[in-house]
Amino acid sequence: MTRISCIHSLALAGLLASAAVPAMAADTITVASWGGTYQEAQTKAFFKPTADALGITIKEDTTNGLDDVRLQVTGNAVKWDITELGADECARGSKEGLFEKLDYSVIDKSGINPKLVHDDWVGISYTSVVLIYRTDVFGDKGPKTWADFWNVEKFPGRRALSGSQATETLSVAALAEGIPIDKVYPVDIDGALKSVDKVKGHIDAWWTSGAQAMQLVKDGEVDMASIWNGRAGTLKKEGAPVAFSFDQGVLTADCMVIPKGSKNKDIAMKALAKFVSPELQANLPLYVDNGPANEKAFETGKIPPERIKDINSAPENVKKQVLQDPAFWRDTLVEATEKFNNLVQQ
Amino acid sequence: MQSARFEDLGGPHGTLNADALRADARRESFGLLALLSPGLLLVFTVIIVPIGWLFWLSLYDETGALSAANYARFFEQASYIRTFITTFKVAFFVTGACVLLGYPLAYMLSQLPRRAASICLIFVILPFWTSVLVRTYAWLVILQRKGLANSWLIDLGVISQPLPLANNFAGVIIGMTHIMLPFLVLPLYASMKTIDTDCLRAGMNLGASPAATFRQIFFPLSLPGLASGVVIVFVLCLGFFVTPALMGGGKVIMWAMRMEQTTSLYSNWGAGAALGVVLLAVTLALLGLFQWLLGARATGVWSSR
Amino acid sequence: MEGSGAEALLRSVCAMNDPEPREMLLSIAPSALPIGISGIEKRFGGVSVLRDLSLDVAAGEFLTLLGPSGSGKTTLLMILAGFVRANFGSIKVGGEEIITTPPHRRNIGMVFQNYALFPHMNVFHNIAFPLKQRRVSAADTAERVEKALDLVQLKGLGERRVDQLSGGQRQRVALARAIVFEPRIVLMDEPLSALDKGLREHMQIELRNLHRRLGMTTVYVTHDQREAITMSDRIAVMNAGRIEQIDRPEVLYARPQTRFVAGFIGDSSFIPVECRNGSVWYEDRKIRMAAMAPSSGSHLMVVRPEKLRLVTDAEPSGSVNVLPATVGDVIYQGDSFVCYAVLRDGQQVTLRDYCRSDVLAKLPRPGEPVNLGIDAEDVVLVAAD
Repeated sequence: MTRISCIHSLALAGLLASAAVPAMAADTITVASWGGTYQEAQTKAFFKPTADALGITIKEDTTNGLDDVRLQVTGNAVKWDITELGADECARGSKEGLFEKLDYSVIDKSGINPKLVHDDWVGISYTSVVLIYRTDVFGDKGPKTWADFWNVEKFPGRRALSGSQATETLSVAALAEGIPIDKVYPVDIDGALKSVDKVKGHIDAWWTSGAQAMQLVKDGEVDMASIWNGRAGTLKKEGAPVAFSFDQGVLTADCMVIPKGSKNKDIAMKALAKFVSPELQANLPLYVDNGPANEKAFETGKIPPERIKDINSAPENVKKQVLQDPAFWRDTLVEATEKFNNLVQQ
Repeated sequence: MQSARFEDLGGPHGTLNADALRADARRESFGLLALLSPGLLLVFTVIIVPIGWLFWLSLYDETGALSAANYARFFEQASYIRTFITTFKVAFFVTGACVLLGYPLAYMLSQLPRRAASICLIFVILPFWTSVLVRTYAWLVILQRKGLANSWLIDLGVISQPLPLANNFAGVIIGMTHIMLPFLVLPLYASMKTIDTDCLRAGMNLGASPAATFRQIFFPLSLPGLASGVVIVFVLCLGFFVTPALMGGGKVIMWAMRMEQTTSLYSNWGAGAALGVVLLAVTLALLGLFQWLLGARATGVWSSR
Repeated sequence: MEGSGAEALLRSVCAMNDPEPREMLLSIAPSALPIGISGIEKRFGGVSVLRDLSLDVAAGEFLTLLGPSGSGKTTLLMILAGFVRANFGSIKVGGEEIITTPPHRRNIGMVFQNYALFPHMNVFHNIAFPLKQRRVSAADTAERVEKALDLVQLKGLGERRVDQLSGGQRQRVALARAIVFEPRIVLMDEPLSALDKGLREHMQIELRNLHRRLGMTTVYVTHDQREAITMSDRIAVMNAGRIEQIDRPEVLYARPQTRFVAGFIGDSSFIPVECRNGSVWYEDRKIRMAAMAPSSGSHLMVVRPEKLRLVTDAEPSGSVNVLPATVGDVIYQGDSFVCYAVLRDGQQVTLRDYCRSDVLAKLPRPGEPVNLGIDAEDVVLVAAD
């Protein structure tokens, strides 16, 4: 590991030196997230209010995920002070030692699901994998459960599932086998793969990005699909003939971390504390469909009551869904993904 | 040669001249080396060193120990071999489609008057100025189930069920062929332009019909251009990412896509690096093969019987 | 080419005088056919390149189309070969109309200016190409290619690549390829223009020799008058899409019919003369001429440098006309000298003579008055433009 780090530092020091944040700008931090409408919402909900409250400047960047963090940390060229990741990525990065320890005397963790509170990462928001179908094909009698989705005789039509997010597709496959939502974890990977095997011949597209999933449904290329609730909500708002619900959804959390070697660790800690506070967390659903990670947000009264039912992490909706277990996937991701690829890619 | 002759003369003047000549030759080679060195340095730092690094990285597993695990994976996991085969299948079909479409196009361009040809060439090159992403999405709009092609064909009554043109192998081939076509047409056109019109006239004059003249003279003379076009297209196909990712519907996984997946799946760079090394090695082997097969064919003499 | 070229030259010169030429080198001697070209008209865009051109080539004749670039000689050759289609006119080969026959069915051999050898084939396959198109058997092909190679003195070079050949060798391959299928007619488009001077002169003799042996009707295009004179049975001088004159070389030289022909072939000075009542006048001098003088009008007297000589007498005597002049410059050229002189009316003329001792003794100096003599036999008149 040390040898590789050394190689990376050589490789990247030169490349990234110019991009590195100057040490003197202690009152400036850089936060990276996924970009797009989601990050725009975060800017309004989290970054701007935090910057104002702490009197600091928050610069923004976009990330492609754990690879980027690994590249910066192992290359000794950390340019982000806080970055967002998927929860399973956080779990894996934590195992690799890529993040700074979080100080929970600064960050108030109450209200956040304990499964999303760890030494070096903390939950920030939720995305759900939901079943969407086109109402111009099925009316209101579309597939409501994953078992329906798997039932190609009763619900003929073209189908899409995620090919890039094996963990989500395997969770959905377990649900399709009739496993109750509280028994999905720990996932029986081989059982779930068998379930995928049953339906794979009827899958017309394995999507690899949220945008692609949305486009497939929007253009009628498929009649039903697994999709992230944010994309599903956008489709509905745009007036596409689609329906979806949180029943049998798969709740996946996003988290935030401070990459190891951040030069503004202390300010980042304060900023992160703000981001997860109920006050700012309650802002998020005002701009985007991704639900807050801190359930106390629903008690702030900031979220209009009629909005609450549309939010995936609202207590009533959480009950209908499976929560992805980051710790489980941390240890099984590679094996499960390779097996999934062997099954699906041909 | 020159200096040897002076040396033969012997005597003090002979050696004097020989020395001066040798010094000249030395100066000249130093000068050339100096001129070359920026290029050599660049090649070394941006090509040789990173590739060596890539290879080095591919030899380490997740724990940082020297191991062949990254390569062993290709045989342990069936999907890698399948991806590899898919990659070659796609490259093969796209190259074939490019030849079938590009050869007549290049031929037409080469027969047009210069002015008309340069205007047509602009249309061949024009797509280069549009992003691959945009062009691929455009194909998606045209080819998908409810896209332009299918709705027109259905409206015209040619078909009753939409044709599966997108999100599958056919979609990848169509999209990639469009993007690769100029890479074939340009070298081919250039080589066709160099074919002497008098050679074709001579062919006809000697009794070959226009078709026979094309077959026996024009086509063989255009082979060097065709060969370089085919090699460029084939090799570019092997590393292609965007179009198969978007047009393949997740069902056509090519090597480059696999690299991306593997790099994010494993916490060591070696996993992805190994894929890169394999692609590089196979590409180099292929180039060698092409050189051996086509190089001799294109430049050498072979029996026309 | 150096050593072997001289040797080949010697051989071909000998062959020319050989009482028993190797006549039947090709298994069947091509039966030469006459060509009748009539009323050929060719326009490119709005520009007429050939205007109502008619020409007959006798069977077995070596006819040269001679003219400056742009005179239409190459276009005419292309029309004969079938690569260019004429707007009007007819071409008959042995009485058979071929104007609409596609090039590959015309059975006409052609040697191109840049040889147009097929670079992807070796010498053997280049020469075998026309035989292959005619589905000649492999054994027959090999035999005929061998004979053709022998004929052009390239024996044993069949396996050579085209790019390994010298210019002269390529020329021979092109020639062998054009005659191996025993065409009725052979066309040559400036085939020697890419060769250097020595080789070109040698090839001229070789081509001429080959034509004599094989006897095929040959139409040869060149802009080199010396080449045309050396090789041709007849020369058609072309200018601006028309044939100005067509004659045997010696007639063309001695009796040019137009100022263009006189100027294009050989060096000439033109002296303006008047014709009155059947006699010819230069200033106040009556010009004696052997041929019938035109009855009237302004004409030009064509004066070739070698037809002039220095005479002592200022008055004409016998059949010699005398023109008084002043020497401008004298240039000594070893074997000969050139004297530039100015007539009394300012007209410049050139005199060339060999450096015999009697001539050298009387060599004039610049500024010296001289008398230039020209025989009545050598007086040629052309119409003034």
